[in-house]
Amino acid sequence: MPNPTCADQSCPVTDTISTLEETIESGRLTHPKTRRIAEEVHELLEDVAWGRAGEEHLPAIDSLAGELAEDSPIQAGIEAGKMVRSSLDQYREVFTSHVQTHNCPTGACVKLAPAPCQMACPSGIDVPTYVSLIGEGKDAEAIEVIRKDNPFPWVCGLVCTRPCEFMCVRGRIDKPISIKFLKAFAAERAMSERRYENPPKEPDKGRKVCIIGAGPGGMSCAYYLALKGYGVRIIEALPTAGGMILAGIPRYRLPREVIDREVAMLEDLGVEFVFSTRFGEDLALEDLKQEGFDAFFFAIGAHKAFKLNIPGETEYGLVESIDFLKRVALGERRRPGKRVVVIGGGNVAIDAARTSLRLGSVEAILAYRRTRAEMPADEEEVEQAEEEGIRFDFLTVPVEIVGENGKTTGLRCLRAELVAREGSKRMSPVPIEGSEFVIETDAVIGAIGQRVDKETMLELTELAWTRRNTIDVNMVSMETSEPGIFAAGDAVTGPATVVEAIGGGKRAAEGIDRFLKGIPQPKMPPVPVRRERVACTEVPASTKMILKRPEMPLLNLDRRRTTFQQVELGYSENAVREEARRCLRCDICRRCGECVEVCRDKMDVDALQMGYFDFDHPVETDFRKTQERCIACGACANNCPNQAMQIRDENGERVLSLCGTVLNRQKIIHCTECGAVMGPNRYLDYIQKRIKPVGDVVATDKMVCDACLRKKSATATVDIPSAK
Amino acid sequence: MVFRRGQRVEVFQRSSDESWKSFMDEYIGRHGIVVDPDTSVNDPDALIEVSLEGKGTHRLPQDCLRVLED
Repeated sequence: MPNPTCADQSCPVTDTISTLEETIESGRLTHPKTRRIAEEVHELLEDVAWGRAGEEHLPAIDSLAGELAEDSPIQAGIEAGKMVRSSLDQYREVFTSHVQTHNCPTGACVKLAPAPCQMACPSGIDVPTYVSLIGEGKDAEAIEVIRKDNPFPWVCGLVCTRPCEFMCVRGRIDKPISIKFLKAFAAERAMSERRYENPPKEPDKGRKVCIIGAGPGGMSCAYYLALKGYGVRIIEALPTAGGMILAGIPRYRLPREVIDREVAMLEDLGVEFVFSTRFGEDLALEDLKQEGFDAFFFAIGAHKAFKLNIPGETEYGLVESIDFLKRVALGERRRPGKRVVVIGGGNVAIDAARTSLRLGSVEAILAYRRTRAEMPADEEEVEQAEEEGIRFDFLTVPVEIVGENGKTTGLRCLRAELVAREGSKRMSPVPIEGSEFVIETDAVIGAIGQRVDKETMLELTELAWTRRNTIDVNMVSMETSEPGIFAAGDAVTGPATVVEAIGGGKRAAEGIDRFLKGIPQPKMPPVPVRRERVACTEVPASTKMILKRPEMPLLNLDRRRTTFQQVELGYSENAVREEARRCLRCDICRRCGECVEVCRDKMDVDALQMGYFDFDHPVETDFRKTQERCIACGACANNCPNQAMQIRDENGERVLSLCGTVLNRQKIIHCTECGAVMGPNRYLDYIQKRIKPVGDVVATDKMVCDACLRKKSATATVDIPSAK
Repeated sequence: MVFRRGQRVEVFQRSSDESWKSFMDEYIGRHGIVVDPDTSVNDPDALIEVSLEGKGTHRLPQDCLRVLED
């Protein structure tokens, strides 16, 4: 099955074009002027669908459609005009988005559709474009593209949960492109070369916005608002910027300097930071309103830890993981205990255990009530923790913290088994009776999740909250129930990912901009914008298949167990450039399957083995197979709706390529008589097998084109065999 | 936790959860991949992050999702 995004979604722009086309082709537009206007509207709509439209296109379509609807002397003309106008009225945002962003998220306007990786990115980064630029060594240009949608490419290059890689089409062939690490490399290189720059700001709008929380969501919003010309102040409770990326992610995964450098880019834009100031305690909303802020954005995160609710928790002092990580991030270096038990199975639990080890704990044990398969932590994090010597106790349910003289001495636990509850497929851990045991420990760290701290927001009495105790917002504009107050990040989603917070902050900036301009908010969430259509890098099919995703070099184990040095050392430059060349450029090839079908069903050649086209059931792909069977006829290229498949003659060869991957290269035969191009041998064989030779009389060893053959046969005055 | 990272899922029905918005109706029937499951408390009520083919990445309630394969 070909890519469903090419086939089963409708776009108002293409739908309008099709309906108008049917009317024109039906011959019902008998009045000449009506027909001419309809054709003009059709042409303008085609411009919109192919990314050629400018600002004047939609008003022109509006006006011409109005002329048809009101002045056409024939009914068909009136109906056509009304149809176009109604479509424009109903879907104006979609038409405008096509014009302004060169983007069609349905994939119906093939040239304007974002790739799956870009669609998957919560901040909508144009992945294929920047990966291609990195492949060409244009790191600063790549960063420029990334920062149109995400102001923190370096941070995300090190800690993003990379939804893009899960949707990467290359993953259907072997392994996804290492998108995250390529981004980190480009950011580091651009920063090192002093070519990591801010784009120009719009002129000052004379209005200012206050942001509460200097985490990824708050700073993302600040960046885009500053670029739009707003004055921005960020209020932060901690003494430094970063929020959860600073307080919750240890330095061995995300060095402090990386955050500092990217935050400094915001300061360069004029964003003002006010640190060590807690909203709701040190500062009230009314104070800020009196200062003249026109809008507010809350990105306060979810920093409050859940309690375990077991005996001994208060008496012997359960350490809250997020508080522990924050203290270490801010400079504390005391180990939490000699033998530490961390309760939980997520990334925060892993981080707490690994941090304890680095602070000198002799042993760090992770107690999790389910099995390894259910652990929500990143697989790589789990592996790295295991390598460092973290012990995992699975199917372990803590029931009591035990101690003496106010100090923790152990964690009483029960062994559990996973049992399917009645009426549910969900396997739940059920304690086994009589399986009680005690893990000796002098520090228990709880890492079972965080929630939003509502107490700081009590002043906002009209603010609506969800039943999950997160701020209730319109997820399209990020507006809260209080006018002029917006929110995003973990405070809205609950504990989530860095890139989601960044995407939310960007959306909120757009929402705030519209609010301050008095423009209505959109009804649908924004779709990612294709930033460029950069040329494809030429790669031979064999190279495309042979190149493998590189392994990440890691810091040696002794240092990982004793210091906070960055564990992932980064790819070499050569590995980065090669990895970028594995990209399939899904921003251009939509995997519609037209090429495969025409080759197999019409030409009966079946040279394209593109198993990766199918999302649900990908089968084997091998670009090298094409060379074995392809006759270089060009039918695939002629039927490709997006010029992804191309055939061209160069240096005496006919070259077939798919988004730069050279699938076939064959020597071109020229007519020995006139020198005209005849095509490759295999193509000529294919043709000769299907048509009767012009005549035996003129048979020759020489390669002669049809025209010359005809001339020869005419000269020889022989009978030309009939066509049948 | 019902859903794990990397699992292929289908949005097979509307959710009655308050987080379900009307624009999400068009996600019904779409296939996708779980990219960020409930990472902390294994709460069947938690919203999980799913990348839907052609529809972007969204936090969805678990009751509208079913696993396509293991």
